[in-house]
Amino acid sequence: MGKKPENRVERIVNDLLHGRRLKLRAGDAEEKEAITAAARFAAARQGPQRMSPAFRRRLAQTLESAPKETWLTRRAAMVAGLGVAAAALAGGIVGRALEPAGSPAPSATSSPVLPKNGRWTDVGALTDFSEGQGKLVRAGGVRAFVFRQGEAVTAVSSMCSHLPCELWWDRGPSVLQCPCHPVSFTRDGKPSSPSYTLPALNEVKARVSAEGRVEVLGT
Amino acid sequence: MPSEPSGEVVDLPSATRAIDIALDELELVYAFIFARVGNRADAEDLTQQVAMKAFPRLRPSAPASSIRGYLFATARSVLGAFWSTRLGLSQAELHEDLALAIPQGPPSDESVERAQRILAELSDNYRRVLELRFLHGYSLKEVAAEMRSTVGAIKVMQLRALRAAAKVDPDG
Repeated sequence: MGKKPENRVERIVNDLLHGRRLKLRAGDAEEKEAITAAARFAAARQGPQRMSPAFRRRLAQTLESAPKETWLTRRAAMVAGLGVAAAALAGGIVGRALEPAGSPAPSATSSPVLPKNGRWTDVGALTDFSEGQGKLVRAGGVRAFVFRQGEAVTAVSSMCSHLPCELWWDRGPSVLQCPCHPVSFTRDGKPSSPSYTLPALNEVKARVSAEGRVEVLGT
Repeated sequence: MPSEPSGEVVDLPSATRAIDIALDELELVYAFIFARVGNRADAEDLTQQVAMKAFPRLRPSAPASSIRGYLFATARSVLGAFWSTRLGLSQAELHEDLALAIPQGPPSDESVERAQRILAELSDNYRRVLELRFLHGYSLKEVAAEMRSTVGAIKVMQLRALRAAAKVDPDG
């Protein structure tokens, strides 16, 4: 049955329509034109495609590990004054991309930022923070958005969990927007765009001292 | 068949945003490749190959258009090698329109519009079988029922329709 050209092509069509790879065998070359046409129709059925976030991260790892004399290195970024972006590359994207193959899709939670030998940094009086509004602060090498809720504060990393770009607080919809691509995050760090499956922002430890000062765990 | 770019070095804009820019350009490459292989797994593998082949030759400080041109030249070479390896043919024997214009913007409906133009050139039966199978996702059995035919006959018609579609020049 498999030797008839209509059966061979049907097997390939069936794979394509189920999202499977092209598995071509000896003899399929005779139908190369029908097969390439089938691949194009299968693509057209799915419309224009974008890379998945997980694949984009794997590519970022590929670029980061490219030969250092020609590609962005962490040191080069530091020299260019981009310590924050480099740190995000080294600890964020690359860290996730180095996970074993077959690891599960990004979950909605991310680990907190706990710097080795971290120290609490005073970032202002509690009264400097407006209720529910994000304020960008810096605690050494850690940059975070701090949110006041009554007499307490919470904080999340200011770096997008997908691309190494610093977020900004958008007062209108009350979300953190990424300037590099159309994603946003709520004040608790969860992605607010259903079309993107992204990890949540890293939590940053923050507290209010007895003297009414806001402190963030940084470096 | 386009040959793989060799020896050339294309500059990248300053290293600061290089990875972001490169990833955005690779989005276009991915869409280009997907439109030709029709499945995600192969499209990802081939896009990764393009990144690995092209980036050692990219350097700081050139316009994004140069990077795009270089990436697409590499993409054509990688796609050509993919088909020739999978089909056991020399690249010269392949009939692939890899010399299409480089996309100027985000992934568009180009592949969908192209498919519609091809379908419009086919006979009624060929167009119907391909529309039902590919655009509506019908199984062979469902297509046979819809067209009041047998699964065996539809299978043969599907092959002939694909052969006919491959001969249509959608840009002609």
